[in-house]
Amino acid sequence: MERPRDLNDAQWQAVTYDGGHLLIVAGPGTGKTHTLIRRIAAAIPSLKPSEKILAVTFTNKAAGQMRDRLMALGLPQRQAYIGTLHAFCLQLLREYWEQTALPKDFKVASPEDIPDFKKDVLERISLVKSTKLAITPDEEYKAYQRALRQKGLIDFDDILREALDLLEDEAVAGKVRAQYPRIFIDEYQDINVVQNALLKALAGPTGIVTAIGDPHQSIYGFRGCEVKLFHRFAEDFPNAKILYLNENYRSSPNLLTASMQVIGKQADKDFELVARMYEEGKLFIHQAATDRAEADYIAGQVEKMVGGMDMLSARGARRSFGDIAILYRLNSQRHVITQALDHLGIPYQASAKPPKPPAYSDEAALGQFEEVLDYSVEKVSLLTLHAAKGLEFPVVFISGCEEGLLPLDLEGMKSDPREERRLFYVGMTRARECLYLSWAGRRQIFGKTVFHGPSPFLADIEEELKAYEAARASRKKFKKPEPVDGQMKLF
Amino acid sequence: MKFYADLHIHSHYSRATAKNLDLENLYLWAQLKGIQVVGTGDCIHPVWLKELEDKLEPAEEGMFKLKAKYAKPMDARVPPACRGQVRFMLTVEISNIYKRLDKVRKVHNLIWFPSFDAAKKVQAKLNAIGNIKSDGRPILGLDSRDLLEITLEADPMNLFVPAHIWTPWFSALGSMGGFDRMEDCFADLTGHIYAVETGLSSDPLMNWRLKQLDPFILVSNSDAHSPAKLGREANLFDTEFSYRGIYNALKDPRDKGLVATLEFFPEEGKYHYDGHRNCHVRWHPKETIEHNYLCAQCGKEVTVGVMARVEQLADRPEGQKSPRWRPYKSLITLPGLIGEAKDVGPASKAVDETFQRMLSSIGNEFYILCDASIDQIKQAAGDVIAEGIARMRAGKVEIAAGYDGEFGTIKIFSDKERKAIDQQLALF
Repeated sequence: MERPRDLNDAQWQAVTYDGGHLLIVAGPGTGKTHTLIRRIAAAIPSLKPSEKILAVTFTNKAAGQMRDRLMALGLPQRQAYIGTLHAFCLQLLREYWEQTALPKDFKVASPEDIPDFKKDVLERISLVKSTKLAITPDEEYKAYQRALRQKGLIDFDDILREALDLLEDEAVAGKVRAQYPRIFIDEYQDINVVQNALLKALAGPTGIVTAIGDPHQSIYGFRGCEVKLFHRFAEDFPNAKILYLNENYRSSPNLLTASMQVIGKQADKDFELVARMYEEGKLFIHQAATDRAEADYIAGQVEKMVGGMDMLSARGARRSFGDIAILYRLNSQRHVITQALDHLGIPYQASAKPPKPPAYSDEAALGQFEEVLDYSVEKVSLLTLHAAKGLEFPVVFISGCEEGLLPLDLEGMKSDPREERRLFYVGMTRARECLYLSWAGRRQIFGKTVFHGPSPFLADIEEELKAYEAARASRKKFKKPEPVDGQMKLF
Repeated sequence: MKFYADLHIHSHYSRATAKNLDLENLYLWAQLKGIQVVGTGDCIHPVWLKELEDKLEPAEEGMFKLKAKYAKPMDARVPPACRGQVRFMLTVEISNIYKRLDKVRKVHNLIWFPSFDAAKKVQAKLNAIGNIKSDGRPILGLDSRDLLEITLEADPMNLFVPAHIWTPWFSALGSMGGFDRMEDCFADLTGHIYAVETGLSSDPLMNWRLKQLDPFILVSNSDAHSPAKLGREANLFDTEFSYRGIYNALKDPRDKGLVATLEFFPEEGKYHYDGHRNCHVRWHPKETIEHNYLCAQCGKEVTVGVMARVEQLADRPEGQKSPRWRPYKSLITLPGLIGEAKDVGPASKAVDETFQRMLSSIGNEFYILCDASIDQIKQAAGDVIAEGIARMRAGKVEIAAGYDGEFGTIKIFSDKERKAIDQQLALF
């Protein structure tokens, strides 16, 4: 069969490989979703009428998009289950509830349904449930599980664990495996041990698994996801083939080079991205004295590039609000930015958790951790770096590129510096044409004033690629800031 | 009854507007100019809306008047010859910036409301969509068509009028940020638009050249950013003195309630010709085409003005009228005229003195420009100004056309002529 024009050689190889399990390592902007969908589409015609493919996505939104795209290819929906692992497992539990230890009309709880337990306790229990296959319950854990079951509730993590228990029933597992002989899973770099075990149980000895992801974009370690599971794929799924997608169709070559210099320190040696966009983009570094000044700078740049404000500023301005994203490490950085945008009357949307869903519906429970953006109106997107994963914008600002925030290292907030580097890489690779990396020497955060130098990640980008943007139009190199109160840390 | 209406203005809550752009000064200047119905502008801005509710009271249907306690202190500043009733109508301009058909579109649209309730309904919708508090003319990433839908859903009596439809950067048909067809901009809802605003840089004659504008009646307003700029353009109605009267005059093609419009000479507008202001390149569209749209100074694409844009989209020969045509008068503002006659700037003290004197002895500005006899003007302001007004009425003016944001400059007299007229005066 001849390669279609909308797939490159590597993508085509990934679509057509039929030698068993497959891991596709797909860097940012390399056509990951496109390739996965085409591979799914190629698998459907060979199914028996009783069979379905199982396509697992990271979010409900991603599932919806995948459904739409498969529909656009004219494929019968009834031969595919597309959804999050939680949604799929919940369906299994409902279908086979008699084989579970759950009551028939069990409900999925949201954290708000368990008022007797503090947030940090819930977080700790959740982390245990998603990182340990075998749990030795302590008193707190037992009390929590008891409280849930008394109300006929299971929590979000229990959906997977109960499903895992269910699949130990060979009769059930056999039926499920027969129905879903082909399994596809997206965002494999952000999988935890429970999900990994589930996947193995679902595949059994006969199922064929295709996983796709990018270990350089693994950013959910704090939720118990383990990038080492990505690298262990060939052991979990014997004789797996590994294929690489490395042609980037998103970012300007200079932006891509800068991104690779940041991730380079821990990059997979076999894996270097090749730019397939040819027009040079722009990478600006901006040093601001304070977080407020940084926010004013960002808002001013947005105003300039949209040019909506008066007739003269319109010249050469070719962006609209939807082209622009402002990213940050912590939600608490957002307020000062929204103030600056408000001041200039720039419309924005901040990703925020939707209002509490009506309790106890499966749909609501499954959507509870997803963030919802309003796309009916164009606005500047304000997102945490985590929430920006999977999105792309012509123009991206990353604010707070400074010590203490990237990598995150504030009082009471520690992080894995390698994961922080990946997070910064995720942010940088969201940009198509224009990337602004800004930082502030002084910042108010959690009610405290902190003084920081630039993020060490900035130093990993070679000088050649960076343009230093001063607050006022003239361009000059930034000076090392004067130490303030003797607390200033310089790199 | 006959009345003038100026329905596109701003308040001091819009950016780049005069600090004294408040209801009291609008009330004052509307009388000096001869306007009976003036838009409030910015009426969905929460603070301005509150002020409107506090200071205005209902008058005729859909019209509001300034409460006596606010009006009274201003009355002393209105010469008796200019005094007249002033009504406010609730109006707002929205700046829509969004992507459509792969291009960034920047379109300004006017919404006129029959009541505070109607305005508040739209306010609530837009408040949920974007920021309406920072700027009296809010900037929303909302498609013009969707704004129109919101407007119509809120109250069927709301009027939606695309603003200054030819201005290059911010309009429905503008060369830089607009569309080639009204239907491309407003899609299935185009039929719910009854009027379009011509803007300062185009006059009805130019607009008649587009068959696609035939369904619309042409309106003209000042887009004033200061009280003194009120009435640069305006509409003359002869109909019921109410919102409904205006509504019907715009909506119903058989209604003859809109009698005429007062216009700028389009050449005087900021975007009549093409060019680059910073490069001092001002071109007639023919020159622009000769230069392949590239600036002779900087090599970048020039700002294509209204004249060229109209020519680009025109499908009817010059001079033919559209079915809903109305007569119009091309005017120069009185301060502009006095300045030209005296050969001084329009904002100078000498101009203001003469301006005030003429208002006191003759009447409001529209009356002076359109109706007063030349003899009466001669007596009050002298031969040169009287001659200037006569020439303006006859269209005998020379204007170096505006371009790329720079207003055009008017010339009615040469230095020699000015002297000659003065000498004639001296002889008698």
